[in-house]
Amino acid sequence: MIDTLETLTENWADRVAETADRGGTLAIRGGGSKAFYGGPELGEPFDVRANRGIVAYEPTELVVTARAGTLLNDLQAALAEQGQFLPFEPPHFSDLATVGGMLATALSGPRRQAVGAVRDFVLGVKVLTGTGEILSFGGQVMKNVAGYDVSRLMAGSLGTLGLILEVSLKVLPLPAAEKSLRLTMDESGALDRLNRWAGQPLPISASAWHDGVLTLRLSGAVAAVAAAQRTLPGDALADDEATVFWSSIREQTHAFFAGDAPLWRLSLPSAAAPQALGATLIEWGGAQRWWRGGDAQAIRAAGAVVGGHATLFRATDAMKAEYGVFQPLSGPLLRIHRKLKHAFDPRGVFNPGRLYPDF
Amino acid sequence: METHLADFIKDTAEGREADAILRACVHCGFCNATCPTFQLLGDELDGPRGRIYLIKQLLEGRPVSEKTQCHLDRCLSCRSCETTCPSGVNYYRLLVIGRGLVEQRVPRSLAARATRLLLTEAVPRRWIFAPSVRVGRLLRACLPAKLAEKVPDIVTAKPWPRPAAHRRRMIVLAGCVQSTLTPNTNAAAARVLDRLGIALFEAPGAGCCGAMRHHLHAKAPALDDIRRVIDAWWPHLENGVEGVVMTASGCGAHVRDYGVLLRHDPAYAEKAARIAAMTRDVSEVLASEQEALSRLLRESGTDRAGRRVAFHSPCTLQHWQQIRGVVEGLLAAAGYRIVPIADAHLCCGSAGSYSISQPLLARQLRDNKLAAMTASAPDVLVTANVGCQTHLQSGGTTPVRHWIELIDERLNGVC
Amino acid sequence: MSLDFSTGDPRFAVDRPALIARLSVVLPADALLTVEEDLRPYECDGLTAYRCLPSLVALPENEAQVRAILRICHELRVPVVPRGTATGLSGGATPHPDAVVVSMARLKKILRVDPFSRTAVVQPGVRNLAVSEAAAPYGLYYAPDPSSQIACTIGGNVAENSGGVHCLKYGLTVHNVLRVRGLTIDGESVEFGSAALDAAGYDLLALINGSEGLLTLLTEVTVRLTPKPPLAQVVIASFADVRRAGEAVARIIAAGIIPAGLEMMDKKAIHAVEPYVKAGYNLDAEAILLCESDGTPEEVAEEIVRVVEVLDNSGASEIRVSQSEVERLRFWAGRKAAFPAVGRVTPDYLCMDGTIPRKRLADMLEAIEALSRKYALRCANVFHAGDGNLHPLIMYDANQAGELERAVAFGAEILELSVRFGGTITGEHGVGLEKIDLMAEQFASGEIAAFHRLKAAFDEDGLLNPGKGVPTLARCREYTLARAGTAPVTFVAPKS
Repeated sequence: MIDTLETLTENWADRVAETADRGGTLAIRGGGSKAFYGGPELGEPFDVRANRGIVAYEPTELVVTARAGTLLNDLQAALAEQGQFLPFEPPHFSDLATVGGMLATALSGPRRQAVGAVRDFVLGVKVLTGTGEILSFGGQVMKNVAGYDVSRLMAGSLGTLGLILEVSLKVLPLPAAEKSLRLTMDESGALDRLNRWAGQPLPISASAWHDGVLTLRLSGAVAAVAAAQRTLPGDALADDEATVFWSSIREQTHAFFAGDAPLWRLSLPSAAAPQALGATLIEWGGAQRWWRGGDAQAIRAAGAVVGGHATLFRATDAMKAEYGVFQPLSGPLLRIHRKLKHAFDPRGVFNPGRLYPDF
Repeated sequence: METHLADFIKDTAEGREADAILRACVHCGFCNATCPTFQLLGDELDGPRGRIYLIKQLLEGRPVSEKTQCHLDRCLSCRSCETTCPSGVNYYRLLVIGRGLVEQRVPRSLAARATRLLLTEAVPRRWIFAPSVRVGRLLRACLPAKLAEKVPDIVTAKPWPRPAAHRRRMIVLAGCVQSTLTPNTNAAAARVLDRLGIALFEAPGAGCCGAMRHHLHAKAPALDDIRRVIDAWWPHLENGVEGVVMTASGCGAHVRDYGVLLRHDPAYAEKAARIAAMTRDVSEVLASEQEALSRLLRESGTDRAGRRVAFHSPCTLQHWQQIRGVVEGLLAAAGYRIVPIADAHLCCGSAGSYSISQPLLARQLRDNKLAAMTASAPDVLVTANVGCQTHLQSGGTTPVRHWIELIDERLNGVC
Repeated sequence: MSLDFSTGDPRFAVDRPALIARLSVVLPADALLTVEEDLRPYECDGLTAYRCLPSLVALPENEAQVRAILRICHELRVPVVPRGTATGLSGGATPHPDAVVVSMARLKKILRVDPFSRTAVVQPGVRNLAVSEAAAPYGLYYAPDPSSQIACTIGGNVAENSGGVHCLKYGLTVHNVLRVRGLTIDGESVEFGSAALDAAGYDLLALINGSEGLLTLLTEVTVRLTPKPPLAQVVIASFADVRRAGEAVARIIAAGIIPAGLEMMDKKAIHAVEPYVKAGYNLDAEAILLCESDGTPEEVAEEIVRVVEVLDNSGASEIRVSQSEVERLRFWAGRKAAFPAVGRVTPDYLCMDGTIPRKRLADMLEAIEALSRKYALRCANVFHAGDGNLHPLIMYDANQAGELERAVAFGAEILELSVRFGGTITGEHGVGLEKIDLMAEQFASGEIAAFHRLKAAFDEDGLLNPGKGVPTLARCREYTLARAGTAPVTFVAPKS
């Protein structure tokens, strides 16, 4: 198996080099669960799912290394068997979701507000660059500052810097206890409370506000969750009801996400005031706000004004083309982006236009 | 740290001592974090680590100029760095060696020499200093603002207790400037100790403890000061007096160093060492009488919710003598509430003659200290050294007092 | 020992008088040091074994001055070495003979502390501890706490991606910084990250953390503040042998416990620290573990019981739990002061910084013991055991000929072993100058070349902090050949 996979990635290296030589481009594809995210897939489809499997997992080291084609479900099942998990709760959007796609999109779930994002748990990567080289960055230990942090740079790069072959992630033990609470509250009240609570040592691991209802999740030691439940207002949800609810937020199966209206993601300072832009669902203690429809330019502007940014998360290709998926970059930043792209993929083989139309 | 001392010094006692100090430094830089001048100026050369390096260059025979002199002059000798230093570097001792060498090699301007002469000759002499202050007070209205703020207000002392036939007797240093500027300090200490059954008295002829001249590198006159103090005290100490009480932490730190300073003087070494060992800060004396003091405080009947006090612990108390928390404990026991002060480890800028030789830095430090002390609007500002007291006083309108005066007032039913 | 840059880059043909003339226009007189007497104290950072007299030192006090310095240096092709308070241990702020050292120590304003959004905006010269002090009135603090936190700056922390004793639970600098503002080498303003939790485009904020001043010069940092846990308690466990202590670490993690801090000190370190700090460490122990639990009183009580049980089952000879905040701080004080306290028992030391999988802790300690005999140098061990991050302190006397070279070779062997154990040559101190040759131990030429291309995306002319962090490919080849057995280990950078 190992031999075959090594041969496989070597063959891929040849294919990348060959594609580059003839000026072609490749559209990296795993399970396709997040194909909707970002710019259009341009280039020859390049299915990378054959490169799968967990390479190493030692629960006492809190580290797992998996090949990029590994199904996210499989990885999470292996961790759960040892009482551990991926703390950032990555969304799947389909049973076909892979580890590589998780890293390339760097989307994090409800727990992000408490524990950090995908990139915060990345320890190392192995990538195939646009010149057909297989390079390893970072490693399998908690602390590592040798060389630039290319591993974390890969998170959210949408495959534009190289084909991710393998990733090492820090994992954590599952929380001993969880409890969700629900209370009625208007938007500004919810934002105010969420920010105040975040300034106190409370084990709030997730929050979602929509349509006058705020749902909170507490996670941690049994005693800590019980103590917080006594302090905080709201009625407790039944455990299975809570699981279904948080899954609906993470996987965007909640009624808010239904229908064809464009979906915007605003990443804002959690303390930013309510934005009068239309129907909204607020997560991450106020730091992630979803919008349906609305005035694209107003949304983009709103993001910039308060020091955040807006992403056109789900929309038609036409709309994406018109407004761009991601917040435009400042001149100096765009220059740095182009040069970084050039440093890893000088001939622009991988996923052109998936992140920004320019490269 | 690697060292290569130059021939002129490497085989001398001073050279060996300096080398050992330098070798102990691992250049971690923790000292800069608690150095008042580094915090103000942000230049490596104005922090202990940089000064150690400057002195190292000097000892390694590199040329030295008024640049090094300037950075060494800027050091307050507060020794906050020594409290912070995890490697146990005896910074101050190295500084004294370094300053001595620079003094020999880099000539000072006429004006600088004149100022030093005034400080070494006039200030320690009560018969010159006291009338000068009186004249200054008369002329204050005509003086430029910067000079006028240096002239202290007239302070009258409350009376000393009537001589009592206590079995226990202790000497207190009258001091050079304290007796003129803050005469109530010793009077208050005497009244408090009187209540505790200890008679306090000033031995005539002791004069200045010698710290002023010592810090200005007037080595021989500084040692003469010490011998004079010893001569004035010794007969009493041989005659049943149990010890020496210091009410100015600056003088206290110096007297406690007498043994080291006169160790090479066969006639005085032993006496000096004994006196140093018998000397205690007034806070230490009171702390050892805490039980009796508490009883007196209860009896005084004013033990009600106390006023809020900001206490500036002088460097000579917290860093030189490493006495921390004692005064705070006494004041708390007397019913006062101590308010926390930001950057309590930093010098107020008084530092002996520093406020005269480095007026700009001294003023900045003073203003920062006053801002920190008054941040939570306390009722009283107190300290434990005459220099800090008058220096802080010169920068604000709230009276700055010696903490012993508060204890005195509490015992007398004033609150 | 001073550095030999004679093989330096001919691109830096600096016209010093012209440079001084230009800089004098944009800086006040006390902000530009030009003579050797003033420059010498800037010749090294916390790694005193590596020294180099800088060409000039600039002490700007605001961003406009920093920008002006960079523009002039960029125009005249003069390299720039950024410096905070120079507490680093890898020589990241060691000067270069052609360079202007730009000290950021005067940019030390805390611009804003916002308890509502739990953020602080600070200039790069602000000390790590000063941020926590400013946030304390709001029940908040800045979580990363490197042992030098009293003195080290936020700018330096970002440059090195500093950790500390609590990063197993609270993360490294990269996990606690939201946004940095900086200047590129040509003086252009850039912002990485945002006031939100993420930013559009590549995660350049992650890239800047740990970039050792090679990519941009920082002028402002927004950090995340964390609510102070209502209670923290620390357990000290003594062990009669180091292997058991190492195994206890793995058992704690295996029990599903993520302590707020999990530190280990060996006998030599304990003996260096105890006389100075009087922390109450057991002087008979071969190793001690410090395991901290924090949170609500209920949570801490629950966790401490579990920790004590694991430690007891792991063969600890003595277990003590801090009974007050004063005692807890005293227990930690010894660990925090461990490095400089070793300065009390040796004139000089080199502090290594490898990270290994936790399960190899005991193997590593035994290997270090053997190396200590081989090189006839003492070594005290202080470990961030929870992270597998090692800080062996190799003691030597720089005044004795040959000792530094032996210490360097000793350290190199430890780091090579770290890589062989599946770890890294540096966990949190950075590569700097010190470990530049050892980069070839961890990375092949492909990765090294990629690092150079990445650097060029920010600084095409290689003017920012030259000679640090990433070795030239030629140097890698030299090192690899030397290690292949054809030549004995020699350290290339320092030269007597």
